[in-house]
Amino acid sequence: MTTLIQLEIMRTLRNKRYLMFTLLYPALLYVFFINAYSGGEVAGGIPAKSYFMVSMATFGAVGAVLTGSAQKISLERKSGWVRQLRLTALPGRAYTVGKIAACAVTTLPAIGVVFAIGAIEGVRLPAGQWLGLALALWLGSFVFAALGVALGYAAEPDAVQPIVMIVYMLMALFGGTWFPVSDSLKSFARFNPVYLYNQLASFTRPGHGLDTVAVAGLAGFLAVFVAAAAYLYRKDGKAA
Amino acid sequence: MSTVARTPGGEVAAFRDVSKSYGRVRAVNGLDLVLRPGETVALLGPNGAGKSSSLDLLLGLRDPDRGSVSLFGGSPRAAVAAGRVGAMLQSGGLMADVKVRELVTFACAVHPRGHRVDRVLSDAGITELAERRVDKLSGGQEQRVRFALAIAGANDLIVLDEPTTGMDVSVRQAFWASMRAQAAEGRTVLFATHYLEEADSIADRVLVLHRGRLIADGTSAEIKAKAGARRIGFELHPEDGAFEEAVLRALPGTVGLDVTGQPGGVRTVRIRSTDADAGVAGLYRAGLYPRGLEVTSLGLEQAFLTITGEKDAQDDALEESTR
Repeated sequence: MTTLIQLEIMRTLRNKRYLMFTLLYPALLYVFFINAYSGGEVAGGIPAKSYFMVSMATFGAVGAVLTGSAQKISLERKSGWVRQLRLTALPGRAYTVGKIAACAVTTLPAIGVVFAIGAIEGVRLPAGQWLGLALALWLGSFVFAALGVALGYAAEPDAVQPIVMIVYMLMALFGGTWFPVSDSLKSFARFNPVYLYNQLASFTRPGHGLDTVAVAGLAGFLAVFVAAAAYLYRKDGKAA
Repeated sequence: MSTVARTPGGEVAAFRDVSKSYGRVRAVNGLDLVLRPGETVALLGPNGAGKSSSLDLLLGLRDPDRGSVSLFGGSPRAAVAAGRVGAMLQSGGLMADVKVRELVTFACAVHPRGHRVDRVLSDAGITELAERRVDKLSGGQEQRVRFALAIAGANDLIVLDEPTTGMDVSVRQAFWASMRAQAAEGRTVLFATHYLEEADSIADRVLVLHRGRLIADGTSAEIKAKAGARRIGFELHPEDGAFEEAVLRALPGTVGLDVTGQPGGVRTVRIRSTDADAGVAGLYRAGLYPRGLEVTSLGLEQAFLTITGEKDAQDDALEESTR
């Protein structure tokens, strides 16, 4: 199974589209936002460079994970690669595990690139918080990997591309990715995994601890997405 | 049922009264079949005959609605997990964004009894493609990479679904040599094909599938014989004596008779026969003197058309009578 995981990681890192959309795009947007706010603060008194460092890292991570799982799985079900894999001695779950593992590895550069720009731009955190933040964002990305797997088994390649884009953009729009969620929308935002994901970073603010409500909410989403993915995966196995 | 079929050691694969439907379409209908070790078996049939469905059932990609399928005495899934079966599917995609060598290396690594990568590349005839990207290959090249995945380890059974589709003639010849090499190593090979020539020249057993049923099972020569697939041709000259058409019709094995030429002149006779040897002996026994005697094979293609055509006629007649 490790051979499959290695191969999955390698091909993802080699893919130019991956580099474009999950590394370059969030990094450029981040630089743009810093300049747009010209070193000021966003609503709520958080420096723009800190706020958007988190939101662009999660933006890149969610994008990397959704396209890496949903689109690939859907395409490879169609092309018959999934069938071909079922004719190897690998257990059936190896394919999905490989995809999630590849996602897990590929989110790291997406987070790392934005963090590096943040550090250059003057975001200052204690070393422990840098690490804790990276770890929190990395772990949070698994929620979206599970969502991606479910979407990949739910839809055909033609449909999955727009579905992923719509889901991704709506979650980002109302999840605080491009602008902070206003107080009137916060009651809805609690049901948006991207918003909860961004909230994971709140412990880095002075006087704040880890947002346990966000952690619990994400855990709930993870459970739902994993259950959906498992159900759809089994259904696909019967029909392949 | 034969004793061979009852001993798991003597059978590679067994279908026992297997049926499978998709919606209202019956893809496989009461299939009974045993594959024995070392056989090279061709699965023939027109499009929609149930070839691919049968292979899916054999490999455990689908479960039968009725009956059972076993591989090496156990479930297909267990045989696949034990690395005893290698398969190349028509619908088997390849991983994109990797090189041929990387993909083959992967296949060898996950196989419980994997071969060395260089050996597999060379056996499949793709050594020169090793550094190419999988997504940049032609159809025929892709087929050979699929074949490499099917022979990545020491499989006992190799299943190939229309393996030479998309290959040009010279590549096809080379591919047949690779297939024969696999069979020569004692592996059981089962392949579905559209190319009758492929079945005729490689398989030592031919299965004809039609509308989900097995309608013929034998050597290529037997299938041809079953279809009356030999033609006896000759001339009868008036100076050699008169003859009755009834005599020709009564020859052993005759299934078709065609006599041309003027009465009283040279007559050209063509007989379609299931037993050309006995037919020719019968000619002389009847006191005839055939000139320019030729016995030719009609070829598997003609035999195949005859068999499936007869089956269609039977089915139609049956439908008619039950209506």
